[in-house]
Amino acid sequence: MEEAIGESANSISYLAGKNLGKNLSRTIPKTDNLEQALQATRDVLVKNGFLWLFETFKMHDQPDLVQQTPEGQEISLVFRDCMIRQSLFRFGHCQKGSLCTMMNGFFAGALETVMGADSALEIIHAGENACMKKLTIRSAGGAA
Amino acid sequence: MSTAQTVEIHVHEQACRGCEMCVDICPTKVFGFDEDKRLCTVGHAQDCIACLSCAYICPSGAITHSNYHQVKNFYRDLEFSKRMGKFL
Repeated sequence: MEEAIGESANSISYLAGKNLGKNLSRTIPKTDNLEQALQATRDVLVKNGFLWLFETFKMHDQPDLVQQTPEGQEISLVFRDCMIRQSLFRFGHCQKGSLCTMMNGFFAGALETVMGADSALEIIHAGENACMKKLTIRSAGGAA
Repeated sequence: MSTAQTVEIHVHEQACRGCEMCVDICPTKVFGFDEDKRLCTVGHAQDCIACLSCAYICPSGAITHSNYHQVKNFYRDLEFSKRMGKFL
């Protein structure tokens, strides 16, 4: 995609993901609880047959799943079966490209609809069998 | 929500060359390093997310995993590959 579209590939993927996130999460009940919002988002993906599933993750020495930071709430997510990753490998492309940005957009769209909050999904590690990402839900007073 | 299972990690001591590449690449700091033996050790297997990056990067193939979820393989799904090929 980067070769065909150029520098705007990331933006286009992000917006495509955001639209998908908004559309799929329309029926989810609104909540302020991050864990409930993520579970509902996951259920929607399963229901619609998207192979794009994620799990929450907590290190052994981490007290809580959701961590409060000056920027907002942070939670680690692990992505295992991912249609993007498997396709990239099939065609010999690198990870962390524009298609991975689509997931960032998906969460931005879904969580904006469900929680009414701005979010950021950062790729911590892109592995061969699983990826680890950090989801930050920005609080109203947090940095943008 | 988490459906993660505890992954079993096996480091073959005779194969490990002590390069520490697994220590560096692991996103959850599962591995430690034994300075005396010059070998990597498994410190916190419960933190392993089974990304398998350590096994892929190990130059001597000293690391193997068991009891983990292997992702679905589309390599041989020609129909799926044909559809996704449009985007890549």
